[in-house]
Amino acid sequence: MELAKKWIKVTVNGEPRELLIKPNITLLDLLRDYLGLTGAKMACISNSCGACTVILDGMAVKSCSVLAMQAEGSEVLTVEGLAEGDKLHPLQQAFINHAAFQCGFCTPGKLMSAKALLDENPQPTEEELKRDMEGNLCRCTGYKKYIEAIMDVAQHPVKYSAKEG
Amino acid sequence: MAEYRVVGKGIPRKDGIEKVTGEAKYTFDVTLPGMLYAKILRSVQAHARIVNIDTSEAEKLPGVRAVITGKDTQGMKFGFVDTPRYPAEQPVIAEEKVRFIGESVAAVAAVDEDTANKALDLIEVEYEPIPATFDPEEAMKEGAPQIHGEQVPAPGRKCAWQDWGVARAARSYNPVNNIGAAVNISYGDSEKGFSEADYIRDDTWVIPRTNHACMEPHGAVASYHPLTGHLDLWLSHMGFELKRYWISKTLEIPISKLRVHKTFIGGAFGGKAQVFDHEIIAAFLSRKLGKPVKLILPRDEVFTSTNNSIALKVNVRKGVKKDGTIVAQHVKLISDMGAYRGSVPVCLFLCHSMRDSIYNIPNLTHEGVGVYTNKSTTMAKRGHGSQQMTTAIESQMDWIAEDLGLNPVEFRLKNLRKKGDVLANRDTLNSFGLPDCVKKAVEASNWKEKRGKLGPGHGIGLAVSSMFNGSGYWPFTAGSIVRMNHDGTVTLYMGQAEFGQGPTTTTCQLVAEELGLEVEDVNLIDGDSELCQFDYNNFLSGGMFVSCKACLVAAQDLRQQVLKVAAEMLEEDAEDLNMLERRVYIKEDPEEGVAFDEILRYSIQKHGGDPLIGKGFCKPVPEIEFYPSLSKGSGRWTDAYSFTAAVAEVSVDAETGRTKVEHIWVGDDCGREINPLICEGQLQSQAVMGMGDALFEDVMFSEGRTINANFVDYEIPRAFDIPEITIIDASDPDPNGPFGAKEIGECARAAVIGSIVNAVYDATKVKVDSLPLHPEKIFRGLQEKAKV
Repeated sequence: MELAKKWIKVTVNGEPRELLIKPNITLLDLLRDYLGLTGAKMACISNSCGACTVILDGMAVKSCSVLAMQAEGSEVLTVEGLAEGDKLHPLQQAFINHAAFQCGFCTPGKLMSAKALLDENPQPTEEELKRDMEGNLCRCTGYKKYIEAIMDVAQHPVKYSAKEG
Repeated sequence: MAEYRVVGKGIPRKDGIEKVTGEAKYTFDVTLPGMLYAKILRSVQAHARIVNIDTSEAEKLPGVRAVITGKDTQGMKFGFVDTPRYPAEQPVIAEEKVRFIGESVAAVAAVDEDTANKALDLIEVEYEPIPATFDPEEAMKEGAPQIHGEQVPAPGRKCAWQDWGVARAARSYNPVNNIGAAVNISYGDSEKGFSEADYIRDDTWVIPRTNHACMEPHGAVASYHPLTGHLDLWLSHMGFELKRYWISKTLEIPISKLRVHKTFIGGAFGGKAQVFDHEIIAAFLSRKLGKPVKLILPRDEVFTSTNNSIALKVNVRKGVKKDGTIVAQHVKLISDMGAYRGSVPVCLFLCHSMRDSIYNIPNLTHEGVGVYTNKSTTMAKRGHGSQQMTTAIESQMDWIAEDLGLNPVEFRLKNLRKKGDVLANRDTLNSFGLPDCVKKAVEASNWKEKRGKLGPGHGIGLAVSSMFNGSGYWPFTAGSIVRMNHDGTVTLYMGQAEFGQGPTTTTCQLVAEELGLEVEDVNLIDGDSELCQFDYNNFLSGGMFVSCKACLVAAQDLRQQVLKVAAEMLEEDAEDLNMLERRVYIKEDPEEGVAFDEILRYSIQKHGGDPLIGKGFCKPVPEIEFYPSLSKGSGRWTDAYSFTAAVAEVSVDAETGRTKVEHIWVGDDCGREINPLICEGQLQSQAVMGMGDALFEDVMFSEGRTINANFVDYEIPRAFDIPEITIIDASDPDPNGPFGAKEIGECARAAVIGSIVNAVYDATKVKVDSLPLHPEKIFRGLQEKAKV
């Protein structure tokens, strides 16, 4: 039986949206299929790889495992909302400086996990960072370079806020 | 060493902006107007006759546009190997019977994924189970269930290698006792060699299947235009050539009407090289319906229905003199091939050829078989053949050293080949950085102070590996064009695929260096089969040595053209000119010169409109027409080898048997680091992947069913698992490499696995004979030792 569609109000990357959706879709489906924001990726659909990570009301969540309706009235930030105009977010700049990605498929998820962590804990130890990022799988980089990139941002906020690198 | 402006610099990757902003479009992100969604029904039986498939209920479901079965794709066969000896034997959709759990049985196209999935549930398949066989040694016995009958090529069907220019026609193949592939290579006189040995050692290792675990699942978008007959494709691949060849061949669409569009590719590691059933099915459905079709595999199907790495039982017998000189080696391989050949015939051969450039072994026999079992198929994974053999050979090297009281480092160095050596197949070691790799890795790790001295539960180990730099494979060439732009920048057309390894950046560095430009001055068009030239791509690590070199050759061609026009304009000899910053200048008087844009205008005005286009090409092994013999190993294999020596330091918890890798040192010979940032990334990647192989990765089966087909039960290394990693450049530039460069993407993984295996032995003295080194195996070994 076809489920009755429902209206949802959600703010995505600062823009208030009002959408009529199937109530059983995930937040990832909402972002990708309804809003065309394909930065968040689907790689496992089992809450185990982190490629779909976005920030929901300040918290990093795996959007494949959150129902879209759970985001009702919330603010969602995706990788597409990280840069401001022609200015990359410090984490994005650091990822480029450190070659912290290879294939890039899991990069949006990592960036969002890292942003949520640094927003909460701007000076993590490397150990805290590695523990926090355990939910973001990566097969290409061996993790080294993006841990370095995130630590670089944490340790040199001024350098990155001045958009250097 | 020559100094370069752009080559050798850790320049940020050119694909950075797209990848950090989410703009990069992968196959999964492609949406076309009117697109349908396809799903595949997979076999739940390991071995069964298909009695009947009833698709009527599925067809009635609103939103379903097509349901197809093996009757629709009858006779279409594909395979990674399709030679006169080994005909491609995998059906696009199972026909009379299924041979593994996960094989395609039917497919549906519908208006959305939910409808397609519902339709799959409505398809009724009646199976009649046949006894199955899962163990290769059981499958080889008389009376075992026969998975294939005689493989008879369809009348008039040419095998791939005939299409590619081989004169011999495809023969039929009868897999007696389920043996679907064999290799038999020898040189010297093994029997005589062993008779001269003072000491002989015999060891056997079992290497399991592991998954490539690319973060992007496999998938395809196909769009057939019914009026023009053109088929547009978006694929997750390692090179468009092989994919478009096979889709063209199976669907009988002219290859020139088939276009693979540029996509970003979310990792490959060998696991996306061959064509897959799902790609052909997507294209088939699109043609049938005249609509775009998207087919993305869920993660469990990536595990069960694409392919895993090659499972091998490796037996190595080695004869050694008292002084540590190796005199003979006899290798016997049995591969648990799965239901179809995959790349096993290639792997059996590579198990020899990937190791032949390392040690000087005068008398050698290498034999092996690939055996059909009722499991999913197996394929290349990052260092194919080397990875499986290196564990067996390098652990045995340590055990021999221990038995004979030799220093394992000296024992290896003593037996290494030498620069300039010519192998039995005539490959020449024009570059050979391996001794330096060993010495530098040993020194950096402080090996002498640590080996055997770290105390119980702590150990350090060394292993070495080598890798081809491309080998003869379709289309046997890479072509490239570099054209001059109006403002004196250039546009480069590169055929090879970027799947993370970095050619979009490194190739531009080569071109920029040659033309006196900066990397930003090089626009790149890549990965599109219609815009780019033929490309050999990255098979067997030919990316840098073959494909990137073709781009350098095109830049060299453009350079000569630009210098010639400039010489005319400046009334100087071309030899007296040089180029930098988009201008040509007189070497003796650098202030005097002409800008590239002026040279372009002059060329167009005075030379009949010549817009200055450079052309380049490169062949994996220029001296041979096609490829070596897989079964006999004769013929040239590759034009250069890369080398790695890895040292690992580990600690092993005696209470649990769990190993922690503390530090990995990777000494690598990649000829020359074109971009050290990217090179470091490749080696760190392999260090961590190799750690997963050594310690926990294992695709497990129960009665043919994959029981850990997800990222919860199949562990790959996570951020907190990573050890210290030290990268050491020990490059020996190769005279045929672009600026001396060789591959860096595959070689190190095998050495890292071997080094961890040897370090765990150093820590525990427990001899394990299978990967991965699960804590249970080590724990039991330690308990056994305690009893003694």
